Amino acid sequence: MDTTERKVAIICSKGGLDEVYPGLILANAARQSGIEALIFFTFWGLDAVTEKRVDHLHVNLAGNPASGMPTMIGGLPGMEAFAAHMMKKTMSELELPTVREMLKILVDSGAELYGCELAMKMFKRTKDDLLPQVKDVITAGDFFDLSAGAQIIFT
Amino acid sequence: MQTEEIILQRLDAMSLHVAQLVERQRAREELFDELTPIAREALATAITRLDALDKQGHFAFVTELAQVGRRVIEGFTPADVRQLGDAIVGILDVVRALTRPEVLQIATDAAAAMQHADATKPLGAFRALRATRDNDVQKGLGLLIDVLRRIGHGVNAGAEPDHKALETKAKLAELLGPKRARMLPAAAAPKPAAAPKPAMPPPAAPGGVPMRSDGHLADPSGWTRTVGESIARDQNITLDEPRWALIDAARADFATMQASPNIQRLTQVAKVTTKDLYQLFPKAPARTIAKIAGLPKPAGCL
Repeated sequence: MDTTERKVAIICSKGGLDEVYPGLILANAARQSGIEALIFFTFWGLDAVTEKRVDHLHVNLAGNPASGMPTMIGGLPGMEAFAAHMMKKTMSELELPTVREMLKILVDSGAELYGCELAMKMFKRTKDDLLPQVKDVITAGDFFDLSAGAQIIFT
Repeated sequence: MQTEEIILQRLDAMSLHVAQLVERQRAREELFDELTPIAREALATAITRLDALDKQGHFAFVTELAQVGRRVIEGFTPADVRQLGDAIVGILDVVRALTRPEVLQIATDAAAAMQHADATKPLGAFRALRATRDNDVQKGLGLLIDVLRRIGHGVNAGAEPDHKALETKAKLAELLGPKRARMLPAAAAPKPAAAPKPAMPPPAAPGGVPMRSDGHLADPSGWTRTVGESIARDQNITLDEPRWALIDAARADFATMQASPNIQRLTQVAKVTTKDLYQLFPKAPARTIAKIAGLPKPAGCL
């Protein structure tokens, strides 16, 4: 299979543990398949590349019918932290890297990570608040320049 | 003359009448004069009594009672009252049950708590949860729920069974699955060994060794260094010392694990970094290594 020209641009716009992983795994799978990958972190997705928050991402249970838990109960205080704990446990049993490790692997694999300038302003974050793996803070227009010729995936 | 006599006679009779009337009137006046002081006395006493009653609030009470009565009369039809009469035995039963000492005690205790409502601290969801650890609270909750259950049972017994609601319930249960759904998938079950792909018409095999359609060798045992070199040449890769080390590590790992190593595994068994792997094999390192080493395509997402 010739993959020389393929490229994916993944937009990560949500900050739940379960919402961040798919984008990271897709990007990683792309790199492993010889496909170029870049990830654009915007809005709550920024949490995944924010130093203070990356290790505390939660799983959203409320309004998620697939979680198997009624929304009323999923919305109770502490349930998200509990679900995140359970998910992290399962992931470590599967030897799935943490989000922080995953981002490092991605950058080592040659994927590029970008933060959204507007979201950074909204959340009052500076480049110093982000993980060192983030290559740059760019605008949506820059993102389209960078993703020229790529398939775009929104998560 | 005749006429005068008649007139006189009449006048006599009239004067007699008048005299009688006057007499009666006088008697009445006397009686009145006699009665007046007594009546005054009685009236004064009555007024004093009534005043005392009024001061004690009896009149206000009676007025209110009258108003309540009026409202009852306005609000209820005679038919209602008849029904009330029929139900009186049941009502008395309820009252008797409610006035049993233990029930009254509970009501008194509850009322005492309400009297101290000012001192009660507001509870958040967390504290409310914590409060349920208290034995008394648990007992109280149990009691409330029991009461609710009985009320619900009574209501249900009186009502026609709602077939539509039951149907909806059954449908919902079908949709939502068993009540005790698992929250998160348990630890993944051991992966079934990847089923070998049906042998497609073998593509051009470098070194004459059969290959699968995905470019991996059909049989790892048919691999030799020469075959590896020829596959690498097809991938435009020159095998040098560090690359051979990775190929050997991958083959050794496959021999023990019966699975092609992915990138994570390679970094562990060959003691290299992810970065190194991508530098040596820029396009899909784990796959390329597996290809050159004559191993199947690595499974899994990572």
